[in-house]
Amino acid sequence: MYTDFAPILIFSVLSVALILFALFLQRILAPTNKSALKSSTYECGEEAIDNARMQFNIRFYVVALVFLIFDVELVLLFPWAVVFKELGLVAFVEMLIFLLILTVGLIAVWRRGDLDWVKMEVPYARGRYAQLEQPLVDEPAPEMAAELEA
Amino acid sequence: MDSLESYLFIGLVLFCFGLYAVMTRRNGVAVLMGIELILNAANLNLVAFNRFGGLSEQLPGQVFALMVIVMAACEAAVALAIIINLYKTFQTIHIDEAREMRG
Amino acid sequence: MPNIESLSFFLPELFLTASMVVIILVDVFMGPANRNRVVRQLSLAALAVTAYLLWVQTDPGEAIFFGALAVDPYSRFFKWLFLIATAVIFFVTPYTSQLLKTARHEYYLFLLAVMFGLFLMASAQDLIIIYLSIEIVSIGSFVLAGFLKGDRHSNESSLKYVIYGAFSSGVMLYGLSLLFGLAGSTNLFDVQRALASITGPGDLILVAALLMILVGFGYKISMAPFHFWTPDVYQGAPTTITAYLSVAPKAAGFALALRVLGIAFGDNLQFPADQWFPVGNLAIGTVIALFSGLTMTVGNILAIQQNSVKRMLAYSSVAHAGYMLMAATILNTQALGAVMFYLAVYLCMNLGAFLVVILVHNKFGYDDIDDWRGLGFKLPLVAVPMGVFLFSLTGLPPTAGFVGKVYLFSVLISSQQFWWLAVLGVLNSVVSLYYYLRIMKVMFLEGEPTGETVSDHPAMTGMILALMVPVLLFGVYWSPLMGWVRASLKIFTPGG
Repeated sequence: MYTDFAPILIFSVLSVALILFALFLQRILAPTNKSALKSSTYECGEEAIDNARMQFNIRFYVVALVFLIFDVELVLLFPWAVVFKELGLVAFVEMLIFLLILTVGLIAVWRRGDLDWVKMEVPYARGRYAQLEQPLVDEPAPEMAAELEA
Repeated sequence: MDSLESYLFIGLVLFCFGLYAVMTRRNGVAVLMGIELILNAANLNLVAFNRFGGLSEQLPGQVFALMVIVMAACEAAVALAIIINLYKTFQTIHIDEAREMRG
Repeated sequence: MPNIESLSFFLPELFLTASMVVIILVDVFMGPANRNRVVRQLSLAALAVTAYLLWVQTDPGEAIFFGALAVDPYSRFFKWLFLIATAVIFFVTPYTSQLLKTARHEYYLFLLAVMFGLFLMASAQDLIIIYLSIEIVSIGSFVLAGFLKGDRHSNESSLKYVIYGAFSSGVMLYGLSLLFGLAGSTNLFDVQRALASITGPGDLILVAALLMILVGFGYKISMAPFHFWTPDVYQGAPTTITAYLSVAPKAAGFALALRVLGIAFGDNLQFPADQWFPVGNLAIGTVIALFSGLTMTVGNILAIQQNSVKRMLAYSSVAHAGYMLMAATILNTQALGAVMFYLAVYLCMNLGAFLVVILVHNKFGYDDIDDWRGLGFKLPLVAVPMGVFLFSLTGLPPTAGFVGKVYLFSVLISSQQFWWLAVLGVLNSVVSLYYYLRIMKVMFLEGEPTGETVSDHPAMTGMILALMVPVLLFGVYWSPLMGWVRASLKIFTPGG
């Protein structure tokens, strides 16, 4: 059993103390004479032409987020794949259901148009795409609509 | 250094770094990174306890860690979406600049 | 119980998941016209079927899925509370002017997902499920809190919610990992057995693990000093969501916290164990008592200073978490029953109060307390129930809040411990009288009867009146509710 935890406690105290000590040292030791030249970016002698933290197109984020989720969910497949043969049919069906739910998520993302790089109206599209000009918002409930106007 | 203590120590250091990042950072994304550090510290603990605790038969710790990894990804996705939304309305990702409600 | 046999006892949750999948498909394949209405009706149907499945569910007699989940009477009590809360929110959503400009179809799906997480929280008996269920609830609520996309307050509230939520669940996970290390198992009963044999330096780790786990639970039930997100999230989120967050996840947090603490940190394998497990020199009861005193004091004192009604109700919900923690300091059947009774009553009165806030906001766009001036003359059918809810929140007879508070206090008195906490509780109730009655005064004593009455919205008013009925009924005739609570105080212990 893990009864011998004393070293952990000592470590924890030490590590907290270490952080505090480092912060303290930095506060008293670090020289603070700032100048514009000093804080400028060093680019091997070249003049820096742009901010190093350049802005990405926001569309990258959406695709990245979708990718992240589907990518990581697949982690759950690996342990299953290792013992797949011993577990038999039940585990296979379970995993199929899991993948089905994931697929529904993918279908939802796809249908909502979040996978499109350029969202545009295509003439032969049906359903959601054909109606892109309309706002995606419902009309208010009839009883409330009357009240809001009043 | 292949002992339980060394793994737990690294886990603890990660936890402290994460805690430090969450408490000091203003940037929302950096705060999220701190939270991820905390989660990974816990993961390291779980896996190490499983390996050194004679639990090699059932691997509950490993399964726990896998679940945490998946959950952390979902949480990060939602949090990033919220931060993007914040940027759209507040034009900043510094969490201390979004403080309009007081009292 | 093995997996395949367990499935038949897991039907409500299974159905909920399947219906969510179907509703998502329906949602994405239909055009924007009528989308909100169709999704809402399908979700309501799913709720109804889930309720039916929960109603006909039989007792498995042991925990299902190899001990990971327990569909015991204790969990079923809370599941009914969640169902009621979700149904009320579904019902009032189309009548909330705040949400009219937003596409609401996904809102219903998120509510269903959150409710699924709440169901798991009520049943969880395994460290993995505990973490997963809390996260399912949290992630859904983060999105719901920020559902008003262009609204700055809603954005800010979801940001604060996600930062605090992710952080505290991370800390809690670290605590759970330490607990797993000490016990070598993720099952709560195994944890209890292992903790009983720990001596020496392991105790200190146990204290650390316990405190870290309390951070997670404290965040869910908004216990001070982990309550900082509460006022901002409650104020910024859509009011329907505020109402939901203030009752359902809080009840789930209490259900889970009491189960975890009652099993893993109890002295024996009974539930409740009647005696805390001595963790080193730390008496768990005293720690909870300190948190309880701090929570109710902070909540009440800050509530006095608020001008926004939503914010005031947020601090009042912090204070109520403190009252309920007061009974949780003692680990016995009476205490658990008192907390469960109070949670059921709190559900009705707090939901009711928030519905009134929604209705007033619809009609007048008011949010500050001063704007409620003369409401008693303009909207008597709403102001009178609000008065009842406020009386009940204060704990004045003849309302159910009074009975609930009497039960909470009687736990402390009959166990003869923590006298100071009981005194503090009474003092806090007096303080709370001030700010609750302030609203009453503004509604009924200020302003003049102008003769003009505003037409009240029949559906919303009906819902508010429906919520007022149990608050009044259980104030004079509470034995049915208490009987249900007593019957629900049973979980499945292994080998007994």
